[in-house]
Amino acid sequence: MARERGDILKDLMDGVFLMDEALVIKAANEVVEAKYDAYDAINNGLIAGMNQAGVLFDKEEYFVPELLICSDAMYAGIEILRPHLKKSDAHEKHKVVIGVVEGDTHDIGKNLVKIMMDAAGFEVHDLGRNVPLASFVEKAKEVGAKLICLSTLMTTTMDGMATVIEMLKEEGIRDSYKVIIGGGPISQAFANKIGADGYADNAAGAIKLSKSLLAQAAA
Amino acid sequence: MNEKTRLLNALRGDAADRPPFICPGGMMNMAVTELMDAAESWWPEAHSDPEKMARLTLAANRVGGIENTGVPFCMTVEAEAMGAQVDLGALGNEPRVTEYAIERLDQIERLQNIDPGKGRARVCIDAIRILKKEAPQTPVIANLTGPVSLASSLIEPMVYYKGLITDRENSHKLMEFVNENLIRFGDALVEAGADVICIADPSASGEILGKKSFAEFAIPYINRLVTHFREKHGIPSIVHICGDVRCLGNLLSEIAAESISVDAMVSIKTLKELAPAKVSMGNVSTYLLEKGEPDDITKHGERCLRGGVGILSPACGISPRTPLVNIRGLARAILEGGSTVNTRQDTKAG
Repeated sequence: MARERGDILKDLMDGVFLMDEALVIKAANEVVEAKYDAYDAINNGLIAGMNQAGVLFDKEEYFVPELLICSDAMYAGIEILRPHLKKSDAHEKHKVVIGVVEGDTHDIGKNLVKIMMDAAGFEVHDLGRNVPLASFVEKAKEVGAKLICLSTLMTTTMDGMATVIEMLKEEGIRDSYKVIIGGGPISQAFANKIGADGYADNAAGAIKLSKSLLAQAAA
Repeated sequence: MNEKTRLLNALRGDAADRPPFICPGGMMNMAVTELMDAAESWWPEAHSDPEKMARLTLAANRVGGIENTGVPFCMTVEAEAMGAQVDLGALGNEPRVTEYAIERLDQIERLQNIDPGKGRARVCIDAIRILKKEAPQTPVIANLTGPVSLASSLIEPMVYYKGLITDRENSHKLMEFVNENLIRFGDALVEAGADVICIADPSASGEILGKKSFAEFAIPYINRLVTHFREKHGIPSIVHICGDVRCLGNLLSEIAAESISVDAMVSIKTLKELAPAKVSMGNVSTYLLEKGEPDDITKHGERCLRGGVGILSPACGISPRTPLVNIRGLARAILEGGSTVNTRQDTKAG
């Protein structure tokens, strides 16, 4: 006999934020067997758990290792549930291009932002690390993204962010995109200087900023 | 007082005429392109030729006013010797790991031991021998990649960080193996003549690891290294921790090194409060060093000195594009303002 929907969703949520991937997998399979709604289970179970982990991260109870383990559990659950989504579940999502600029391979910060953006319901196109600057522009055009997120940890590669913005200007498409930047040496002052639309100093801030910029763009 | 005595005295808390101005090497390397031109020794060749390596760091001392020499100029020597693939970069880009040595934490037996007689480990050792002959009164700093940073250069950092929670046993095994190798390499560098060890562990920042993992995986291994070099060779150590160390709180004072160096966002005053028994080192913004005006940099250096810094240095690795005149600007702070600062009192304060 299948357990109640609420009990299973609680396991999905707890499994994610308590870093228990086995519990998530078990509960996700239960959702499938009981034919409960996969979309509901992802949103109100897995993603709710990831957002709780994000809150603990903001409160400095969780750090990078913990958040990565939570996200692995979330993705493991999504993997199982995704084939069971209904066509009507496909909502138009905000498309985002993200990556670490050329010359830099430090991608932990970028990965954290990507995870929290997934959890926030964005469609994230992750270009990875050491990304050739033109690729940001090409990818944004290709997928129809409205937001470009650039990350770097090194002072030596910061100027690449300005180059991406210059490229958009040269093509006459600067106004079609919001560009946000972040990383160790980056500051609001630097964002202002290079004409970026915003700066965030942590993953939660990046999500908030992205949402408000995209709302602005839509208005 | 010569440069070597001044730095060693500063590190031991003994009387020095003024704080030294150093740029250790390694992650906090001193090689900028103008110095490469002056030395006629350019990246990437200078990473793998002992003569060029020595000439470049010596130019930093003689032309740039940096009061030490130090090798290597990157954080990839150990990882490469242990099995990672490394791209040596270019004139303006430092070497970096392009392929990790292992994929999973249970593959530790696949890692190689560092052979100090081979490859770029040997290059560093030979460069130190040259430096001892060419500039015996200038302290040579041997730079080691910190244990967490080396471990996360051997295996994808995302896998490594997760393992700290999910597979503590193998994580500690990896750290033990890394530490054995850092000791082997460090011993060889000291035996070649290095006067000071500098350990930079950027991947072990408190913001990434959190206090608990920092206490479990960074401090014990870093401390075993610095204690070893002190007890076996009588060599003092500097430990550089990136990021905002305020989130580590009093853990910082548990680091057994003589000196602690921090990033630009932490004031020298705060550092001295967090680790009162340590010689404070730092911490001029590398962004300011690259983009600022020489006069502003001098003033900033003077502020660090007024804050009672024990050793003046950049806050992190400087960009190869940093103008030489800016490095000299920082050196000027020490010559103009330094004579009024009493190192002994300042480093022992608190």
